[in-house]
Amino acid sequence: MKLLAITSCPNGIAHTYMAAESLRKAAEALGVEIKVETQGSIGVENEFTPEEIEQADGIIIAADKAVDKSRFTGKKLIVTGVQDGIHKAPELIKRFESGDVDAYQGDGKSINEVKQERKQKQNPFYRHLMNGVSYMIPFVAVGGLLIALSLAIGGHPTDSGLQIPKDSVWKQIMDVGSAGFTFMVPILAGFIAMSIADRPGLAPGMIGGYIAANGSFYGSEAGAGFLGGILAGFVAGYIAKWIKTWKVPSVIQPIMPILVIPLLASILVASLFIFIVGAPIASLMDWLTAFLNGMQGASSIILALILGAMISFDMGGPVNKVAFLFGASMIGQGNVHIMGAIAAAIAVPPLGMGLATLLNKRKYEKAEQEAGKAALAMGLVGITEGAIPFAAKDPLRVIPSIMAGSMVASTIAMLGNVGNNVPHGGPIVAVLGAISHPLMYFIGIIAGVIVTALVVNLFKKNVA
Amino acid sequence: MKLTELMDKSLVDIDLNGSSKNEVLDEMIEKLDQSGALKSKRKFRKTIEKREKEGSTGIGFKVAIPHGKSKAVTSPKVAFGLSRTGVDWNSVDGEPARLVFMIAVPEESAGNEHLKILQMLSIKLMDEQFRTELLQVQTVDEAYELLDQIG
Repeated sequence: MKLLAITSCPNGIAHTYMAAESLRKAAEALGVEIKVETQGSIGVENEFTPEEIEQADGIIIAADKAVDKSRFTGKKLIVTGVQDGIHKAPELIKRFESGDVDAYQGDGKSINEVKQERKQKQNPFYRHLMNGVSYMIPFVAVGGLLIALSLAIGGHPTDSGLQIPKDSVWKQIMDVGSAGFTFMVPILAGFIAMSIADRPGLAPGMIGGYIAANGSFYGSEAGAGFLGGILAGFVAGYIAKWIKTWKVPSVIQPIMPILVIPLLASILVASLFIFIVGAPIASLMDWLTAFLNGMQGASSIILALILGAMISFDMGGPVNKVAFLFGASMIGQGNVHIMGAIAAAIAVPPLGMGLATLLNKRKYEKAEQEAGKAALAMGLVGITEGAIPFAAKDPLRVIPSIMAGSMVASTIAMLGNVGNNVPHGGPIVAVLGAISHPLMYFIGIIAGVIVTALVVNLFKKNVA
Repeated sequence: MKLTELMDKSLVDIDLNGSSKNEVLDEMIEKLDQSGALKSKRKFRKTIEKREKEGSTGIGFKVAIPHGKSKAVTSPKVAFGLSRTGVDWNSVDGEPARLVFMIAVPEESAGNEHLKILQMLSIKLMDEQFRTELLQVQTVDEAYELLDQIG
């Protein structure tokens, strides 16, 4: 027989562990296998896995404190006080042997639902990422929509992209939107770190995210984008968590969470970006630029495929920047077709993810569905960042899907001889008359958007 | 880290004078105070009393573990007292308490090293042989040697 037990008491200092030990001893004497989860002041230790709960013949909760029972729906369950765990352990175990225990009926959740929840709780990487993304979404939505609106109404196509005249009110609205975007990566990183290390993680995470997103800190033309922000968040979080475990003199203890941990973790994460991550990003950009310049003589189809993939890979990060700057510099040299392909690719990630949320609501949480609508608006004016919440939350499924869609769009645009003499992307540049062969341009975008939406929904699982 | 890092020989008393629960509590709080673990004896006493009201800390097997987590505590400390006669502690099994561990934990502290040690102490107290040996000690050194095994 296999049993599970949970012990817990109000202070969580002594009784919890006594009851656990007593149950283990009794089980050993009776030849019963038992695993005891202790919910004490140290936190939850020896936590059960969903497999263990599934395989268990019964569960004992010996606690003087509320214990969440939802995990045990359908299992034979004894709920009693912690004293019984200490003094009546053999009797409790024997009740399962005599079959004198009822199954827990639960509070209405099916075992599958509970299982799904448990699974999500199980993967801490995913949980931390989710936390960061959920705080980031409003910043992306506010920033993206304001920028989209001001560009759509106040923007004029020029050699250096869509520009808004300085004296226009739309310029100020655009700046407010840019302020929202500025916080995007720091918030993502900060709340990833906070999910890992609690409050002491917030400052190092946000500061690390800011540094990650600003290449000027490490002599790079572009920052590390949201992927760099994710890295900064995890690094800052785990450093802060590690410093929390240090043994320090009691005089210093009160200032640990507010001063010492944030300060040390910020310095460490900043050093990581400035001295270790920064240089490779700068040289990666140099290398990619040289690579693209070397590709000029090669097949334009291959170049379009590569550029499409690069645009969607990190959406505003270094790889995207290289492709975009390459396209912009080619306009100066009289080749407007490269920017045509890039402009089509730029629209695909936000439009594709927006369409995906409309096609299958069950695969996206409520907040994601809202983010999907905002993404649609951003996609129309060529703001790739609209897809970042999706990519940051589930990079392994989303990034390949948007890359595939962008590659389709850029290739069709290239084949259709689409030209673009404004360094900006999305349907808006065609509406403003900067695109030659607009029909092929739109066919490319639409095809890419459909590919992205179908592929990502194929990969994605239903949310619980 | 070991239990003995949370206590020294001055916190070990192998012959408690008190004949009631209250007297024993006073005796042991005094010891903790002398070791510098407490900011306020009165406040810590209140915390201990509050915990006893929630349910006796007499866990049976002649063992009691009065404990308090309080701002009145500056650093985690454990005091051990052996009562030759035993005092009534309203224990679950009705037996008088003879082995008394008083545990003082600060309200807030970084790290949980000390909680790990108390966890080990709790586990060890479930060991009948350990309890029997502890009941038979004749000197402070003997008691300290046994407690030194924990951790």
